[in-house]
Amino acid sequence: MDNNNTRNTTREWAHGLTALILGLFLLGVSSGLGIMKNIIDIWGAILFVPEYPAVVLREIYLGWRSRSNDNNYLNTEIAKLRNENAALRLELAKITSEKNYTISSDDVKTARVTLRAPMSWWSEIRIDRGEQDKITQGLPVFSEGYLIGRISTVSLMSSWAELITSPSFMIPAVIEETRDLGVITGEGNGVVLLKYIPAGRSVHLGMKVCTAMVGEQLPPGLPIGRIAGEFPAGSDGYKMYRVEPGADMSRFYTVSY
Amino acid sequence: MLLVILWLVQDLLTVFIGGGMQIPGFFMLGVAYKLLIDEGNDDSLWAIWSAFAGGALWDLRWVGIPGFFTLGYVAVVLVIIQVWGLIPPQGRISGTGWLVFILLEITQLIPPMLPVLILGGNIGWSYFLYQQAYSLPAIFVTMAIYSQKVRDMKV
Repeated sequence: MDNNNTRNTTREWAHGLTALILGLFLLGVSSGLGIMKNIIDIWGAILFVPEYPAVVLREIYLGWRSRSNDNNYLNTEIAKLRNENAALRLELAKITSEKNYTISSDDVKTARVTLRAPMSWWSEIRIDRGEQDKITQGLPVFSEGYLIGRISTVSLMSSWAELITSPSFMIPAVIEETRDLGVITGEGNGVVLLKYIPAGRSVHLGMKVCTAMVGEQLPPGLPIGRIAGEFPAGSDGYKMYRVEPGADMSRFYTVSY
Repeated sequence: MLLVILWLVQDLLTVFIGGGMQIPGFFMLGVAYKLLIDEGNDDSLWAIWSAFAGGALWDLRWVGIPGFFTLGYVAVVLVIIQVWGLIPPQGRISGTGWLVFILLEITQLIPPMLPVLILGGNIGWSYFLYQQAYSLPAIFVTMAIYSQKVRDMKV
């Protein structure tokens, strides 16, 4: 009897330690594996069906709550109008530019954020819209009518969007009031920077920053945020500014595109 | 089957809440309950690998990187197996209320604590503390079900 117990305890320890080592291995290796995103997408697609009732219930609840609270209702309306504004800017950019954007802004389409991983909090999000919803790579993503990122990878039922707070996010931007051109990029810690503005320009706090003409899919004129801070000019004669994104980068559960 | 249902309940509630807060870990409460109840079952390997699978799937769904909850869930099972194993089977029926509470609380303490310890930050800690407060009712309900089951076993 004692022998059996010892054998069981040894087996439990052996299996437990194996499981722990496997867990550590997954933790150490998986963040660098590109295939992990595919596995996450497949698992997300499988869970789409059982999760659907919870999504619908949540939408019903949020709708009811916003109607029952005047402030919430007004905020929702403002967010909706801002998104509509962003869509109209896209439409305008489409009309005035010679480029053929692959996006359609007949109406504002919304997507739910299904994953924002802690390890890449300021870099990317996953949304529940993919190829079948005509999402394409490079498409701008908005929250509260302000640009928060662009689509980086697309799969059938979901997509990943790179956020403007990501260090690898770089797009040309313009200060609306002065028409000075620079590059918007993230620092990876929630801070958004506007780089390469020549020193000596009369740039003030609160000035609006939006996308500039580009060679990719982002049309010019999409609002990003406002100038919120200034760094001393470097030896190269250029200044860097901190940009306060128009959208709350810590609180978005749904986005529009 | 019970564990699959509990995992899905945990997932659906998280979807409903919108990811804004962590809901109680029903899945691990289920694993702990089954471990504490399964008196006749000598083998607890099912619990180790169920916890591993449940944690990995949770990581894939909500964390993005498998490992955090995988490790946490397996660690919880190992703690429960070892602590519960220290008590003679005859002594497990009565007078273990506090121990059962502590073991159930551990299921809610360790898994969400690992990401906080690894990632750190004030937001993480407050988020974690709220999660602990929300978990208490679920722990009490599990304790009530456990007590009922023990009473039935005595009869």
